[in-house]
Amino acid sequence: MGGGGTAVVSGEPGPKATGEAALTGRSPGQLMWTRFKRDRTGVISAYVVGFFFLIGLLAPLISKVYGKNPYTVYADERPDLFDSAGVPVHPNGGISGQFWFGLEPGNGYDVFTKLIYGIRTSLMISVAVTVAVVVTGILLGVAAGYLGGKTDYFIGRVIDFLLAFPAQLFFIASMPVVVSLFVSPRDETPTYVRVLALIIVQWFLGWMGLGRILRGTALALREREFIEAAKVSGASPWRIIRKEILPNIVTPLLVQSTYLLPNFVTAEAGLSYLGVGIVEPTPDWGQMFSKASTELVMQNDITYMFFPGISMIVFVVAFNLLGDSVRDAFDPKTAR
Amino acid sequence: MKEDLVLPAQRAQGPGTDGERLLEVTGLTKHFPVKGGFPIRRTIGQVQAVDGIDLTVHTGESFGLVGESGCGKSTTGRLITRLMEPTAGTVAYRGRDISHASRKQLAPIRSEIQMIFQDPYSSLNPRQTVGTIISGPMEINGINPQGGREKRVRELLEIVGLNPEHYNRFPHEFSGGQRQRIGVARALALEPKLIVADEPVSALDVSIQAQVVNLLQQVQNDLGIAFLFIAHDLAIVRHFSQRVAVMYLGKIIEVGDRDSIYTRPRHPYTHALLSAVPEVNLTDEDTGGRERIRLAGDVPSPISPPSGCRFRTRCWKAQDKCAAEEPPLVRISGNHEGHLTACHFPEEPTTEGREEDIVLDPALAALEEAASDEGQGQP
Repeated sequence: MGGGGTAVVSGEPGPKATGEAALTGRSPGQLMWTRFKRDRTGVISAYVVGFFFLIGLLAPLISKVYGKNPYTVYADERPDLFDSAGVPVHPNGGISGQFWFGLEPGNGYDVFTKLIYGIRTSLMISVAVTVAVVVTGILLGVAAGYLGGKTDYFIGRVIDFLLAFPAQLFFIASMPVVVSLFVSPRDETPTYVRVLALIIVQWFLGWMGLGRILRGTALALREREFIEAAKVSGASPWRIIRKEILPNIVTPLLVQSTYLLPNFVTAEAGLSYLGVGIVEPTPDWGQMFSKASTELVMQNDITYMFFPGISMIVFVVAFNLLGDSVRDAFDPKTAR
Repeated sequence: MKEDLVLPAQRAQGPGTDGERLLEVTGLTKHFPVKGGFPIRRTIGQVQAVDGIDLTVHTGESFGLVGESGCGKSTTGRLITRLMEPTAGTVAYRGRDISHASRKQLAPIRSEIQMIFQDPYSSLNPRQTVGTIISGPMEINGINPQGGREKRVRELLEIVGLNPEHYNRFPHEFSGGQRQRIGVARALALEPKLIVADEPVSALDVSIQAQVVNLLQQVQNDLGIAFLFIAHDLAIVRHFSQRVAVMYLGKIIEVGDRDSIYTRPRHPYTHALLSAVPEVNLTDEDTGGRERIRLAGDVPSPISPPSGCRFRTRCWKAQDKCAAEEPPLVRISGNHEGHLTACHFPEEPTTEGREEDIVLDPALAALEEAASDEGQGQP
């Protein structure tokens, strides 16, 4: 092939002299992008996921245009819409041209703004957890894999130890503890403390899987000869990690993150559902489920459940499909 | 080409002044600990990968290091480029001991010792363009050639026979031979004085091997770079190197100039190694002109190498002395200047065929006996 290759090389200057741009190679990242764009499922999922993020991002703007906010207690503002028990008088929770998704039985919050603000809260927390997990995973995973030896042993045992924790139970049990670290139990807990506690607790038990994968990747990369070539040139360990290792762990990192984020969304929703996450009146995706399952809402307005339910299913499914497509685009040899 | 090569060989062979000695390795040793045991892991043995070797590479010379797989050739190369730290012994570059130098202490000479790697598919970072790969060493060492690094990289690409327009391409767009050329260009980027080539062609297709070897030879002649050429292909080493050392189980057992090693070998292992090279001239009337030696068994474990001479377990001339006493690497009588052999009972300095083939492998011997009996049964 080399003979052929050389022949091609010597033949190339003629025709290529005119179009120099044509000789710019395509990076593995560009190749991935080209493959991804050909995957229809992936592209649709990406649009859906993007749509959710856009809603979360633009929630204040949307509610401004819509003319309502999730904190207004319509049971007080518009008592004509509710009966004596606080249930909207119109069917399906009072869905109308004015209240697109109806009103919440009880306090009478507007469901539409509550949902978009809930998506905003949930996604903000999940993205923060994902970022924290990715940073931790890179730091500890790459350190363990690249440095090896005692560092690897120590980090490996820490990962084993944390993986042995029953995660859900730990979340529920530790949330009040973490919250009490910031505020005295007698005072009212500010929302940002709850958000911070949710991020910390999920991060604490969330990074190990990614850390292990990145450790394995770094371990495999360390043995590659291009690392030795960099060492022979006198590159510092920091430069080797930055320029040689990090660009090569982008693939598993991106694939894993797209699987991790929906998990964090559902975990956060679970915690809020159980009452240890975000609480009223702060809107939250998961907390809407717990609201939907209260006796008052359940018996009088079953439609309420569908708004957070369907939107979350669509989001999680789309995100997981997106994760699959990203993986396929990076690793086209994996047959499905 | 032959005439060109003989000249530097002779210069290197001459009683070199100290200025000519580029690299001097003495008593170089690398032992890898073997961990085991339960419940407490501890060192239960040492893999004696390289065990006290001496060699000298002169300026502009090509020094070949041959031996079978696992004899410590590559470890030696990695010790010299200080990818590993030696257990004992010294590596001196231009008289400066670098055997335990830190990365910072090594910095000034990093640009002078470069390496070409074995596997062209793993020696180039798949996420970097060719330009980034080749200019990387210049960037690390803060070298700013005239006209900029990009211009220099394009020159280097031209030197190694690639199109300078390949600057912005990625390694996956090249064939194995082209990738190895990129590796050569990267090694040349720092204008080194010594290149350690660790089996630079053994991963390549045979038809490409010649191209890459010729490229290396051209580079060596044009730029006067000294090479430590590590290979297990004897023919390529013969073509490329003026002096050759033969390694067996972590030790150099014979070293000398090319002609001494290839036509006047003294160590039995060198004889065996040379006789294992396949003969191309089947039509030649004197195919029986070469000696024929077939060893039996495997190389002993480097964890517990044999006492005395390490080759004695497979040697047909081994005697009690070989187990008791390790033969020193010396110039034995009948050797040319600079031809050193570590053997108590050296062979005749010839590769001519002997009266009887040495076939130590019992299975092969039985096969051949059966074949010759058959031949005699039907005259």
